[in-house]
Amino acid sequence: MATVGLDVLVLGRRDSVAYATGARSLWTAGSRPFGPACVLVAAARSVHLLSTWDEGVPREVPFEHLYGVTWNGAILAGALAAIPGLATAMRVAVEALSPGFERMALRLAPAAELVPADDLMRAVRALKLPAEVARIRAAAAVVGAAMEAAGAALAGDAGPVAARSAAWEAAAGMGVTAPTSGVAVWPAEPASGSRFHVDVGFLVDGYEGGLGRTLPGSDDHAPVVAAQRRLVEACRPGATAADLRSAAPGGATRWCVRGSGMGFETPVLSATLGRGEVIEEHMVLSVELELDGLRRRDLVTVGSETTDVL
Amino acid sequence: MNGGVADDLARLLAERRTEMAPIDAGRMRRERHGRLQAELARQGVEAALLLHGPNVGYATGEEVRGVDVSYATFERPVALVVAGEDRPHLLAHHEDQTLDVERHPAAWPELDEGAEDLASVLAEVVGPVAGRRVAVDEQTGAMLRAGVLDGAEIADAAHLVGAAKLAKTDDELACIAEAQRRNEDAMAAIQGTARVGATRSQVAGAFLARLIELGVESNLIDPIFQPMPRTVTDGPRTTTKTVAFPTGVGDPTFGEGDLIWVDSGIDHLGYASDFGRTWVVGRDPDAAERGLFERWCDVMVAVLEVLKPGATAAELCRAAEAATGGDRPWLPHFYLAHGVGVESAEMPLVGTDLGPEFDDRLVMAPGMVLVLEPVIWADGVGGYRAEEIVAVTQDGWRHLGGGHPYPPFG
Repeated sequence: MATVGLDVLVLGRRDSVAYATGARSLWTAGSRPFGPACVLVAAARSVHLLSTWDEGVPREVPFEHLYGVTWNGAILAGALAAIPGLATAMRVAVEALSPGFERMALRLAPAAELVPADDLMRAVRALKLPAEVARIRAAAAVVGAAMEAAGAALAGDAGPVAARSAAWEAAAGMGVTAPTSGVAVWPAEPASGSRFHVDVGFLVDGYEGGLGRTLPGSDDHAPVVAAQRRLVEACRPGATAADLRSAAPGGATRWCVRGSGMGFETPVLSATLGRGEVIEEHMVLSVELELDGLRRRDLVTVGSETTDVL
Repeated sequence: MNGGVADDLARLLAERRTEMAPIDAGRMRRERHGRLQAELARQGVEAALLLHGPNVGYATGEEVRGVDVSYATFERPVALVVAGEDRPHLLAHHEDQTLDVERHPAAWPELDEGAEDLASVLAEVVGPVAGRRVAVDEQTGAMLRAGVLDGAEIADAAHLVGAAKLAKTDDELACIAEAQRRNEDAMAAIQGTARVGATRSQVAGAFLARLIELGVESNLIDPIFQPMPRTVTDGPRTTTKTVAFPTGVGDPTFGEGDLIWVDSGIDHLGYASDFGRTWVVGRDPDAAERGLFERWCDVMVAVLEVLKPGATAAELCRAAEAATGGDRPWLPHFYLAHGVGVESAEMPLVGTDLGPEFDDRLVMAPGMVLVLEPVIWADGVGGYRAEEIVAVTQDGWRHLGGGHPYPPFG
């Protein structure tokens, strides 16, 4: 915030709020209309959080800085108006904007310029701290177990519904019931019905584990394994979308490399996306490739020397 | 059953649980498009650009995905509804070929390059937006940087969709009823897993696995099985000084006699269920706990007796308060009742902090849906909370759902 000269930052999404504050909250599916779920004030270095209770709120956010859930715009505006530093702010950043919040913000901070800060949040989040990588490793273990359970179900001819169900139960057995992308199982060979793409994404202590395989057995299939290794190895500091396009096999049905952390993150690089994006050291990426009817998705960490599959 | 008021409530709900006609998804989407068109005309809006998932689903029928907010945001479909056109535009991956929409490639409006693509589609379909009244529900940072709506007179699409969806069609009601029935079936199948020594995640895992076996594609909320404190001061500190629910934090292990508040929601064809019950772990409810349940039934019967077209939200609140001798029998940060549809909580909202004047002005009309969720709290004993969904009809109301009982209370 200091570098780009922001007085106030207003966040709306659960993952952004969790990143900025460490607060844990109930998982719900899908998008939420943008609203001020969290307000950070640069001068006071203070964090104000939309929460009716202190459960899941870290100690760094004092109870007095909580404003409760409300359906009433006037009550919300009153709670925000009481935040020291908002009324006099000159630059207020938002990660998205709804017409309703735009009106409210202009009343609360009349002198302020409203600027988008999604790019700031993404730039900060893209480079992972060691403690974040440790969380992602723990999440990778959960999706590994879920994948194994799905694989066992498919190997036993139990079918895609049983495989999904088994993957969810395996994650729940490790205390995890919130998905990122969830569990998808779809036919890899519609004609024979003998092979399935399985993709697993769960949220574990706020961080995402993700894994994709074609089951039973894509590990025995050398070309896709080798192609995925080449794509992973191309994810080096300084690499651009053009570099990855060169590394992706010509016959690939689909490939995508994108950030992963507290869910789906940037950069996003694919056959059509990624203009201006550059891979950097300390990124964690989801690398996905489909070739010859076989699909792999792995999470990788970009280091100074090597890019490693988690 | 318990006899008395619990039987009265069960009988009342059963009498109003009428057969639903089969869902015609195509007709449902056409009727919603008609309502959106009517609102565009009434509110003087030339085009509506929709990014919020439930709004996109309402406008186009695009499926709901039970994914995290980050996926729902980056991979979001976008809808564009233009006044006078006979079908909506959809920018998406188009996995459902049955939708009657003008198809455009997925736009990625979170990304700068995607926002430019979105601007191109907007220019192609609507023409220059400067000086024209365009509704939008949310703009991404990339859209703001790209100036996608620069110069337009921006209207709030939340008002547009909100007005269109306030009263539901019969197909929409049937979707909600089916979602609720499936949710209830899954809960009935797994209630026995909530034993002494079980964890919340184990019970939730059994529920989620059962949903998949029942053919439910999307779960909408991390299922809540929250052991409740017996006094407010034993629970988390709250800004309302009342009990905290639903916190959705932690993975408690259930102990004998735990009072568990259960809450879940799933999707069926874009419509949400809302299941709420109170369970007791490892033993039958005691007399004091049964008393909470009976008072909850009293409130439900009292509210349902006054619910009909023309009744105000304030009248529903007063009926609930009268049944408890003056206490407000619901959580102050929530409501006595809320609507449900493409959102798990939407208008009509009854008994919120929007205040008594709002409740006085909010008049029940046919097609409105209410999830009644009174809470009876007796500090020291604990609380009973459950939910039932009803829809306002021409002459009263009907019950949506399968008639799930209240074990172990009744």
